[in-house]
Amino acid sequence: MSGESSVTSNRKLVLPGDLIETKSKPGKGIFRSEGRIHSSVVGYSSDKSGYINVNAITGRYNPKVGDKIIAVCAETGPSIWRMNIGSSFNSTLHHSESGWKVPFGDTARFLSIGDAIWAEVSMVDASGSHQISLKKDDCRKLYSGNIIKINPTNVPRIIGKQGSMISLIRDNTKTRIQIGQNGYIWIDGKGDDIALAQEAMETIDREATSEGLTKKIEKLLEK
Amino acid sequence: MAGQTDMELIKNGIRKDGRKPDELREIKIVAGVLDNADGSCYLEWGNNKVYAGVFGPMECHPRHKQKADRAIVQARYTMAPFSVNDRKRPGLDRRSTEISYIVSQAFEKVVMVEDFPKASIRVDMQVVEAHAGTRCAALTAASVALADAGIPMIDMIPSCASGKINDVVVLDLNKEEDNYGQADLPLAIIPSTGEVVLLQLDGHLTPDEFELAMDLATSGCMDLYKKMRDALENSYGGKK
Repeated sequence: MSGESSVTSNRKLVLPGDLIETKSKPGKGIFRSEGRIHSSVVGYSSDKSGYINVNAITGRYNPKVGDKIIAVCAETGPSIWRMNIGSSFNSTLHHSESGWKVPFGDTARFLSIGDAIWAEVSMVDASGSHQISLKKDDCRKLYSGNIIKINPTNVPRIIGKQGSMISLIRDNTKTRIQIGQNGYIWIDGKGDDIALAQEAMETIDREATSEGLTKKIEKLLEK
Repeated sequence: MAGQTDMELIKNGIRKDGRKPDELREIKIVAGVLDNADGSCYLEWGNNKVYAGVFGPMECHPRHKQKADRAIVQARYTMAPFSVNDRKRPGLDRRSTEISYIVSQAFEKVVMVEDFPKASIRVDMQVVEAHAGTRCAALTAASVALADAGIPMIDMIPSCASGKINDVVVLDLNKEEDNYGQADLPLAIIPSTGEVVLLQLDGHLTPDEFELAMDLATSGCMDLYKKMRDALENSYGGKK
């Protein structure tokens, strides 16, 4: 990332093991050793409202209860589906959380391997396993369209301030887009439009730390 | 280790390849080179060329290897058939099994394994060109790849060897020095604490020489650590 000035210029890049001088309480992405705070991941440190956090730049999606995500079916059981959400473990979707009336052993009729859904994380436990639900708000099965995968830490960049970036892409490509917190994005529309929206999003993902991204995307979409 | 040799590996404090006794070979590290891995690294160390890729944390297979309270690190070190002069038979052998095992052990010391119960973190290291010191090169590359994968850990671990040639303790043996020298001592440390996570010794050293070799390898590791940090900062835009 050379040349351009970076939006991250006022934040500091820290690497695993780096000592962080602070009086704040420890948050995430850090560990304590001999009473001092060190970073445990590659990321940017932020010292806000009494807590020191290191926001990791890379890594797999870490599910949180209430996150809206896109999940892809990886496995079907007699009464559950195992869904891939891009985290360390596959997530479980129980038939009672699906909103469908599923006869025992007939799960694949409703969701088979490769099918995608728009769902919400309903439970995360300490051992790292998690469940998702289809029974909330606008959760549903996704028909047609494409799914692309980006780094989950770049999701806020794709959305932009108050959704500025995403509405820019939506308006210019006339596509339907749904962005999961896990970095999975569903795009539906005409073939060329999907390709353009995908290109825009992949550009954002690749150049998430550079400034003047909105202008660059505007130019890309005008073509 | 031949032990005795007529070959003059060091003369007037200058080695055959022109290095001083306490000098490392040229090192180039690039992070994030593989698209399909969670984290990756390419490393050139003299004539050594190594790729490392990290996959995970993910569900551990086979199931019986799962630990209910923590993750395991499954490292795999392989040498390409074309990496050495005589074609190497592909696949696992006694040597690569050993290196895979010690690298796993070293990483379980620094990775915060208790954050990911039942998970496995796969670390694959592929040597595409070998010229002595590949286990150190592979471990170093894997460290950078782990950081690139966003896996929480106490510190990255640099690894570097020292040894003895013509009765002189030197840093970072090359192929000739390794084959005709008297001792080889690979070392990996946690830079922030100075803890040793990997130490092997092949050949003979007196207690005094051992101390000297340890000091030399430790300072080599610290130099290497700076290069690893630069590689990550370059790839994440910390350096302009």
